[in-house]
Amino acid sequence: MVWYVLVTVSTAVLFWGLTRLAFKYRLGRRRPLGLDHLPRRLARGLASVFSHDKLRTRQPVAGGAHMLIFYGFLVLFIGTVILAFQDDFAKPFLHFDFWHGSFYLTYSLFLDVFGATLIVGLAVMAVVRGGVKPPRLNYRRPAGEPGDYDRTRYVIGDWVLVAALVFLALSGFLLEALRIAERNPSFEVWSPVGWTLAQGLRGLGVSGDLAANAHHAVWWVHGVVALAFVSSIPFTKAVHIIASAANLVVRDERAGKKLPRPVPGGKPGEVGYARITDLSWQHLLSLDACTKCGRCHVACPATAAGYPLSPRDLVLDLREVAEGSLGIRATMGIPPLYEKEAPLLGNAIRPETIWSCTQCMACVQVCPVGIEHVPIINQLRRRLVEQGEMDATLQATFETINTTGNSFGEPRRKRGRWSRELPFEIKDIRQQPADLLWYVGDFASFDPRNQRVNRALAQVLQQGGADFGILHEAEKTAGCDVRRAGEEGLWTSLAEQNIATISACDFNRIFSSDPHTFHTLKNEYPELGGKWNVLHHSELLLELVEAGRLNPRKKLGYRATYHDPCMLGRYNGVYEAPRRLLEAVGVELVEMPRNRANSFCCGAGGGRIWMKELRPEGVKRPSEQRIDEAVALGGIDYFVVACPKDVTMYEDAIKTSGHQGEIKLREISELILEALDLAPDPGAGAEQEEEPK
Amino acid sequence: MKIVVCVKLVKVVGDEVEFTADGLDVDSDYLEHALNEWDACAVEEALRIRERLGQAEVIAVTAGDKKSEEALRRCLAMGADRAVRVDSAVTDPISTANALASAVAPESPDLVLCGVQSSDSVQGSTGTALSELLGLPRVAVVKKLEWSGAGPATVHRELEGGLVDVVEVDTPAVLTIQTGINQPRYATLRAIKLAEQQEITLVTAPAGGDPAYRVRRMFTPPKGEGAQMLKGNPSEIASQIAVIIKERLK
Amino acid sequence: MSVLVIAEHTRGEVRDITYELITAGHALEGPLVVAAIGSDPGALDLNRAGVDEIIHVRVPQADFENDVYQQALEALIAERRPDHILVGFSVNSLGYAPAVATKLGLGFASDVFAIRREAGTTVATRAFYGSKVHAELDFPGQRAVMLMLRPTIWPAAGAASAPPSVTERNVTIAGSRARHKEFLDLPKADVDITGADFLLAIGRGIGDKENIALFERLSEKMAATLASSRPLVDAGWMPSSRQVGQSGKTVKPKVYLALGISGAVQHLAGMKASGTIIAVNKDPEAALFNAAHYGAVADLFEVARELEKLY
Repeated sequence: MVWYVLVTVSTAVLFWGLTRLAFKYRLGRRRPLGLDHLPRRLARGLASVFSHDKLRTRQPVAGGAHMLIFYGFLVLFIGTVILAFQDDFAKPFLHFDFWHGSFYLTYSLFLDVFGATLIVGLAVMAVVRGGVKPPRLNYRRPAGEPGDYDRTRYVIGDWVLVAALVFLALSGFLLEALRIAERNPSFEVWSPVGWTLAQGLRGLGVSGDLAANAHHAVWWVHGVVALAFVSSIPFTKAVHIIASAANLVVRDERAGKKLPRPVPGGKPGEVGYARITDLSWQHLLSLDACTKCGRCHVACPATAAGYPLSPRDLVLDLREVAEGSLGIRATMGIPPLYEKEAPLLGNAIRPETIWSCTQCMACVQVCPVGIEHVPIINQLRRRLVEQGEMDATLQATFETINTTGNSFGEPRRKRGRWSRELPFEIKDIRQQPADLLWYVGDFASFDPRNQRVNRALAQVLQQGGADFGILHEAEKTAGCDVRRAGEEGLWTSLAEQNIATISACDFNRIFSSDPHTFHTLKNEYPELGGKWNVLHHSELLLELVEAGRLNPRKKLGYRATYHDPCMLGRYNGVYEAPRRLLEAVGVELVEMPRNRANSFCCGAGGGRIWMKELRPEGVKRPSEQRIDEAVALGGIDYFVVACPKDVTMYEDAIKTSGHQGEIKLREISELILEALDLAPDPGAGAEQEEEPK
Repeated sequence: MKIVVCVKLVKVVGDEVEFTADGLDVDSDYLEHALNEWDACAVEEALRIRERLGQAEVIAVTAGDKKSEEALRRCLAMGADRAVRVDSAVTDPISTANALASAVAPESPDLVLCGVQSSDSVQGSTGTALSELLGLPRVAVVKKLEWSGAGPATVHRELEGGLVDVVEVDTPAVLTIQTGINQPRYATLRAIKLAEQQEITLVTAPAGGDPAYRVRRMFTPPKGEGAQMLKGNPSEIASQIAVIIKERLK
Repeated sequence: MSVLVIAEHTRGEVRDITYELITAGHALEGPLVVAAIGSDPGALDLNRAGVDEIIHVRVPQADFENDVYQQALEALIAERRPDHILVGFSVNSLGYAPAVATKLGLGFASDVFAIRREAGTTVATRAFYGSKVHAELDFPGQRAVMLMLRPTIWPAAGAASAPPSVTERNVTIAGSRARHKEFLDLPKADVDITGADFLLAIGRGIGDKENIALFERLSEKMAATLASSRPLVDAGWMPSSRQVGQSGKTVKPKVYLALGISGAVQHLAGMKASGTIIAVNKDPEAALFNAAHYGAVADLFEVARELEKLY
């Protein structure tokens, strides 16, 4: 009787907690996407949960251990439910007893094995957390970020969870052992662990009535602790059991890749995230999904360079505000409490933290529970821009882009000037039709080092018989980084103008040598009506090579490493095309430890190239750290890139990191050109690169 | 309390220049447009006065063609309350001042702020000419402004060499604002787009008197010999510079 | 025909522009009259070649005030009816000259750097569009013409062989609505850039505030004094004591190395008399290349890093 009362109480507390959480999420904004395509979302989310794919990538030990815990817990939970069903429903009401025979034996074996895996998994986690102490589990805030609350309770919470599960598992086995020890029936050998323990107990003289009484006592202890554990789920780290799985179902697959348009007719106070209640309900849910695993913290280039940003800490800070103003803690009046209406920026979150982000998506990509740090930061940036709180240099860049259509402040007429130094004329696609529209981009149009890359690419394409044209001075910046820096209105204005310009031309496909341009044209312009087939130049070049229209005559025997640009790799999944190109020209490719989806951002994205330096003295820039990583491979001739910002950042980093002369930079088009063995760049002129001494 | 700010949409010439058929101006194809930097500081200063005083109406006024409304939109997006355009062709400072006066005088403003000069004409004279037409006292090249909203204002005039002249000026007055007095706030594109919905009052310019001057011809100046250009990579350039320095410091 | 020049003076010292106005006025027809307005105009040195008459206009105010100069000038114009009135394109003149021209309906142009007489008309040359373009102006209507002349263009008039005649005149000032209170000197700076032999000047091209440290280091290594153009001072990154230009200091070092400075007219005015000007800028069209003796189109950071290695 007492038991059923306790069960009811425990269930009630559980449901109260879950309801409170649901209410908390409901206070967030309605997100337009909501729960569309629910069957597909469920399938995808559950697949992720059951396969543990994100957990096991890059952390096989922790991922594997969690798998043991997960399946152990799941099987034990199902086993308990089956038993409860048998005892409390099937037998008394349906007079149906399946608790015997081979069913029982299989059941016993399963539960024992999975109980053991649960303990093994927990033991591994305890050793990692307590013994190995990897940097990702160090909760200390990085030097650039001031913290204001003690994180000891996080650590205590973590250990309490592990301890509770261990206790439940061990007491479960003890329970089983005592039960078996009472009469020691031989078929119980099918519960190997229990059987072994029972033999041990019997050896100690625990059997018969003693065992029965002990069993009774331990049963109650185990039961009460189990009920307490279950009812504590909404209030502790254990909430991730529900929140993480839920988040994997409701998250936005295109988070960060396709940023959301603002709600039309929004008032100034409704732009971006000002208060905690401005977060979408899904973002509020995702804050509770975080288990402080630290994967985002160690993947972030800003954190690595000592900027005042850690994605993990941002999520945790927001969670503290959510809990302290809207959540269970607020309901129960437990400090620290927060004002629901208080602005986030300038209080819980510093603007420098939000401006530190390069929007590289390493955090979103690696997060096992699908938290969307990048869109959250973007919304906070929209707020900052609306309030005019940004670097003077960023403000000046926005104004320049609005006036001249490029971030360099160069007159519009100068845009196509780089092409004049070629031995042939590039078609003006506004006047003549062409197969391909080459959207060149700011950096490639105006930066001298990148103009050389352009000319190399143009010659390669000409050689390959590609029919292409450029927009000359009608081209404006595609606005990818403007959007990522939070000036949504300016991006919209640019996109509308560019779509009109492009639509007036006659072509089949668009390509760009700038991954940022490529990304926004391909993924974000369609929403405004600009839907075309968009390629990156590496994809186009590979097409030409595979069709036999480009025949690399020379096999360049260089040893090179390739840096995956964020916007091409992580954002769009284009990893192989550049590699196959390098292979086709006979380059020996040596991969850096962080490659493909794990590539390490150069630090220029998200508009950061237009903002002031936030790095503390003595810490290397992300681009310098990356060059160190490349040089450490040993004997690398070339650092190969496929993005104009990478060209600029890494040419600079090679000099400032002290590795000048040890490694050189090449853009992929330049290597293809070299392999084609054509005449040297006519516009190279005075800008000769230094020969190794 | 009314503060009028006179602004101009300036033209920026790139490095390529072509003239109109009559040779009296640059072909508009070769021009970019922007709100005059000095005028942006003037608008910002007006907005700050409004914030300090708690309330005031900030009115942006320009004299020009339809395109010059872009400058007014920017002012509205920054926070100005109203905007007025006097439809006129921008010519010399005195004619411009005449056009502006037709819109400013009826407002009976408590303060009129202009930029010291425009970046495309650099006349520096429109504000002072306007003050004469309005019959108001003026101070030109104001670096700092202190005013309680009534009575005289205390301003700092920035003289050559950095010397500061502290002046007490009776109000209402016309002040021309120098850059460096403040950092103009950013007007988001969203705010500018919203400003496009706002109505801009249109005033026709009065029939003008004589212009102050007449342009006979416009031309690109012959490039002088210019500098002797040093060639090479940065290392070579640095070496050459070092040699020159050593030689000339003897 | 006569030419009226308004002398500029601050705290008892005649400013150089006055002597340049005299030279410019000499090229125009008719006697050249220089008017000095102040409480003690006799103390000002205006004995210069080409001056036919000096008028001491006595007013109660010792220092410049807009309304005082406006009323004094209007009185002089009414009395003397000059054909040309020359004032400097300066902060003081901006406070009254355009007002006088407006009130009296004069021909008017500012920032003029060339004047000539052609078949009975006056032709003045000024720049437009940030000095990229020049224009010739004339003044139809047979009125008197007031011109504000750009400083440092005409040479200063030399000493007079014989002292010009002096006329004393008092003017009653009806009221001054903008009154001088006091002068504020720049705070005593750590360094006086006007005395340096070698200046390393940085401009907008340096990009970020952080980068100033690099150039401070470089200037120390090269034994140069660090100077700056206006934008960096406006942004608060450099103290105004280091500012070179029209509203900053005028310098004449043996060597002026300019990194990332485009060469706006106001900056040029402050340094074009330097012995050797070397300009480094990424923009091949930078105006400073016209005024410099040596130039290099290069990335100034790379050049700075290379220079640092050499010193």
